[in-house]
Amino acid sequence: MTTRESCLLCQIVANRIPSYKVYEDELTLAVLDVNGGNPGHCFVIPKNHYPILEQIPDHELGNHFVVANKISSAIFETLKAQGTNIFVRNGIPAGQQVAHFMINVVPRKENDGINLQWKPRQLSEEEMSTVELKLKEQVKGRGIQKTQKTQTAKSQEAPKPELVTDDEDDYFMRQIRRMP
Amino acid sequence: MAQQSQQLNEEQIKALQEKLKNMSPEELKEFQKKQCIFCQIISGSVQSRKIYEDEHVLAVLDINPANPGHILVMPRDHYSIMPQIPVEEIEHLFLVTKMLSNASLRALEVQGSNIIVANGVAAGQRAQHFMIHLIPRKENDKLEFEVPQKTLSEQELQKIQEMLSENLGKKIEEKERPMPVQLMPKRKEIVEAEFEEKPKEKTKPITKKPIKKSVKEPEIKSSKKSKQKTAKKQSKNNEANLDDIAKMLGAK
Repeated sequence: MTTRESCLLCQIVANRIPSYKVYEDELTLAVLDVNGGNPGHCFVIPKNHYPILEQIPDHELGNHFVVANKISSAIFETLKAQGTNIFVRNGIPAGQQVAHFMINVVPRKENDGINLQWKPRQLSEEEMSTVELKLKEQVKGRGIQKTQKTQTAKSQEAPKPELVTDDEDDYFMRQIRRMP
Repeated sequence: MAQQSQQLNEEQIKALQEKLKNMSPEELKEFQKKQCIFCQIISGSVQSRKIYEDEHVLAVLDINPANPGHILVMPRDHYSIMPQIPVEEIEHLFLVTKMLSNASLRALEVQGSNIIVANGVAAGQRAQHFMIHLIPRKENDKLEFEVPQKTLSEQELQKIQEMLSENLGKKIEEKERPMPVQLMPKRKEIVEAEFEEKPKEKTKPITKKPIKKSVKEPEIKSSKKSKQKTAKKQSKNNEANLDDIAKMLGAK
């Protein structure tokens, strides 16, 4: 397991920072957000340190979202929510603020002040076709293989978090400040 | 969506309600499928711009995108909300989503993506077919998702933690209780800890047998060297790109 000293969420995983944990397994941790959008707002994080979605190995990824779904079901059942959102900010332009991948699970009720809507845009046929072609070009030949989550999860017996020391203390924050 | 704009008179509505009442669960499922525009897209009777498909999943471009390249990832089977979907299918859906997010980073010169799932009308769900929205993001694309921060008291947080963790099967021991984190003075206007009572949305226990994942071998294996070369090149591109994005976040 890899954790980073400078990463706040890794500190939460390693129990060095107290948090309100609601669920935990070998790969995944779910914690209450103390400043959530609604009471019961949780974030689901990989125990290993991955800044963005694309870096998470396939055998882990499924588990994180299955946990997010579990939390969402629990929110429906116990908090009597009228709805839930599963929301990921992947990359700085997408609003990501911490360099550790995170899935937000947000309980919803009507008029709760949360806005995850967007203005529907109308692109020209040409624009749509261009985007379609570009994407298809990249997707070509990428089948999704079956995962072998259970094996990998069991094969490592609760490894001790091993600290990767970052020489630069608050590298992430400086990166953010450097952004326009 | 033309069918939906048809107006029904009261008699027709009554007849329809009567019909729905007498349907078996299987018939009801079939009926739902016929009414669902996304099931029609999946069956091919309504046209779409398909980006990816396999045995269980279809990904198409949203016709009214939030940003160019906005993709809808849908299970071929009709589910309304995520809690109804079997575990294996959820895993598969999000693996496809990751692959597509990766593809859009490389194809569209974007530096990020939002993944949004809405369960229930209150969460902004509009279609009756479960789907994952994958929205590519660029700097200054004028898209904004707001999740205002609310402050809860320790007691409220503890209460919610207890309720959720009990439901999720993990008892939090007394000593594990976190110390107060918030050092700021608390504001008065604290949000209610619980939502209003609403008829519980019962989700059926998942009884479906595990489905076989489609094992689409990547083409690289079947075809020969020339493909391998491009694949290598692609993965190189891929790495460079991911690195940049991760670097912005402070990874090495």
